[in-house]
Amino acid sequence: MNSSLRHALSQHLLALADDELILGHRDSQWCGMAPLLEEDIAFANLALDEIGHALVWYTLLADLAGEDHYIYPDRLVYFRQIADFRNVQLVELPNGDWAFSMLRQYLFDTYETVYLAAAVGSAHQPLAEAAAKIRLEEIYHYRHTSAWVRRLGLGSVESQRRLQAALDKIWPYTGQLFALSPGDEFLVSAGYLPPSTILSSTWKDQVVPFLLDCGLQVPVESGDEDTQTGRFHPPLSRERHTPHLKVLLRELQSVPRLEPQAVW
Amino acid sequence: MFEKTAESVQEESSEAEKLRLFEARIARGEKIEPGDWMPAEYRRQLIRMISQHAHSEIVGMLPEGAWITRAPSLRRKMILLAKVQDEAGHGQYLYHAAETLGISREEMLAALLEGRAKYASVFNYPTLTWADVGVIGYLVDFAAILNQTMLARCSYGPYARAMVRICAEENFHKKQGQDIVIHLASGTSSQKAMVQDSINRWWWPTLMMFGPHDGESPNTPVLVGWGIKTRTNDELRQSFVNQIVPELHSLGLSLPDPSLHYNKATGDWIIGEIDWDEFWRVINGHGPCNQERMEARRRAHEEGAWVREALSAYNG
Amino acid sequence: MAKPDTQLPRFQVFLQEKTGQPHQDVGSVHASDPEMALLNARDVFVRRPECTSLWVVLADAIFSKTAQELEEQELGDKGLGDEGVKEESGEVENYYIFYKPKPTGTQTLVGEVPAAAPVEALRLALERFSGDKPPSAWWILPARRVLVSSPDDIESMFAPAQDKKFRLSTDFHTLTEMRRVKSEFGGQ
Repeated sequence: MNSSLRHALSQHLLALADDELILGHRDSQWCGMAPLLEEDIAFANLALDEIGHALVWYTLLADLAGEDHYIYPDRLVYFRQIADFRNVQLVELPNGDWAFSMLRQYLFDTYETVYLAAAVGSAHQPLAEAAAKIRLEEIYHYRHTSAWVRRLGLGSVESQRRLQAALDKIWPYTGQLFALSPGDEFLVSAGYLPPSTILSSTWKDQVVPFLLDCGLQVPVESGDEDTQTGRFHPPLSRERHTPHLKVLLRELQSVPRLEPQAVW
Repeated sequence: MFEKTAESVQEESSEAEKLRLFEARIARGEKIEPGDWMPAEYRRQLIRMISQHAHSEIVGMLPEGAWITRAPSLRRKMILLAKVQDEAGHGQYLYHAAETLGISREEMLAALLEGRAKYASVFNYPTLTWADVGVIGYLVDFAAILNQTMLARCSYGPYARAMVRICAEENFHKKQGQDIVIHLASGTSSQKAMVQDSINRWWWPTLMMFGPHDGESPNTPVLVGWGIKTRTNDELRQSFVNQIVPELHSLGLSLPDPSLHYNKATGDWIIGEIDWDEFWRVINGHGPCNQERMEARRRAHEEGAWVREALSAYNG
Repeated sequence: MAKPDTQLPRFQVFLQEKTGQPHQDVGSVHASDPEMALLNARDVFVRRPECTSLWVVLADAIFSKTAQELEEQELGDKGLGDEGVKEESGEVENYYIFYKPKPTGTQTLVGEVPAAAPVEALRLALERFSGDKPPSAWWILPARRVLVSSPDDIESMFAPAQDKKFRLSTDFHTLTEMRRVKSEFGGQ
């Protein structure tokens, strides 16, 4: 593997891992606060799976860098600064109400199932194997969150109103899921990654009809990015983050930073 | 009129007869199952105990759940998530066991949120440091295991079975806590100080988990008589102390009890006097976190109302 | 018209640990409908391995009788009727038969019978499954009210629990750790 490819792959693995880490953090914030006891358990389970997936990707990174499996992932999580995180902004957004969290989870889960379905065919063996394993849990996540979106969309006037409000807020952030990162072209030509245009259209073909079926109006895409009046378009680069990430990381990283050399 | 009297006498003696048969079943070690005849007081005591137990699991999720986001390693984070998930699951099993006695989950939750129901007082203390997560697992969950192992022999079938299932899972809770405490106690000097401070704050609340002294426990005789409890508060407390004190000492940790000493004759570690004023204050709602915990649960419940309504509407 | 705020209906949950073994009652969940009940049941009851199949059924759809009740009354149209169970389709359909062999222990699946109503299913069950020692309680479930997990679900719903070994207390070696620390501190 040449160095450009290696660098591109490590940035990609970092992106996958950081997405799961930050989303897992948001999921775990529902602990003890869900509308029904069964959902406290379900959300804790979701969070547990996401953190587990993050660990899988960070471990692949450790292998790629020739670093220790047990030490490197935690080093990455607890001692990197914000500028070096590669997650999408979608997962940084605070939880909001139940409709917001469920819709955000659904849209991300669908993206993951689409990505993983393609990634199992990756020419990079470790990535393909990891994708195959993670995919099984994501199938279950998708089943859970899509069931919820449906029930909220078709439930009561209020739940539909809240779900629509959530969709209006979240939709502009979904573009970033399929944006190209620097180096992605190497990954695609090496067969490590599927082209993102395919992922994007597969995702849309699944999500749009589903949301319409749930009684929602899907925001219309314009061709142009920043010139639409009043329409918010978050930046597409994974190097840019919202102010929320700073607050989140301060909490997440707090304990090991008290004493960086200590073992916890 | 003569007939009525005969009828009521018959009714009374048939109630007395039923009670005699019921107590004979308990004496034989038989399990009472849902649908079996039981005295109203037996039912009442069980509903009280089981729902309190369920509430404790649910409220107990909050102090630990607060540390999931701050767990200092990915592995510890996953372990804590699994533990909190278990606790919610245990609350689930217990609400179910109580439902078999004829009370609904709505009624039980209403009692909790309106401040009419009690739950383990130990969860009214704040978790101030990461070490608290370890100490809760090691001390509090160990105390719970002792209590639950005893309750697994309880005469009411569904409660006993819930206890068996819970005990199997609780062992992991204690061990993960112990693992954290061991690491901190053998770590850097500030880690050692952190865990010692934690022990200092959690020791007495944990001992209070076993309830008042036997002499001052009004429910105990009835509960023992009907096979709901098979060991007394003091017996369990002593068992706990005898096991945990040597272990903590071997980790270089001390207990915040100047009277603590070993009695060679009985083989018991003797503790000092428990501050019962504090116990009653906290269990009656005036502990450091009672308000906060209840408000958090109330808020979650209220904010969840539209969700539950939506679900009902989806099916209705 | 607003409905009162409830904890949602109760669904009974049955779990099969390994293929070939009978499903057993493990408890219940509250949910709005069978699909949510199945998903919730998986989260509540399958945190540790050993599950190949999960069933959920609305608790109210279960027709139940204890041996004591059967002794006290005749199983007929009056007395032991289908109180609380509104299944009167009159058509023959499949019923799952669960029983508790002893007062302690859990409801376990013993078989299926076709019948036109739960009472008739119980009558058939009494003939076929009583054996030498009559069971202490029966649960009769109309098959069409039961949502069963599909064998395809095993991979995504149940198998992942296998990997989460940190949930098992055997994953913690506290005894070894305590010995190590003791020797470092020289004991007390």
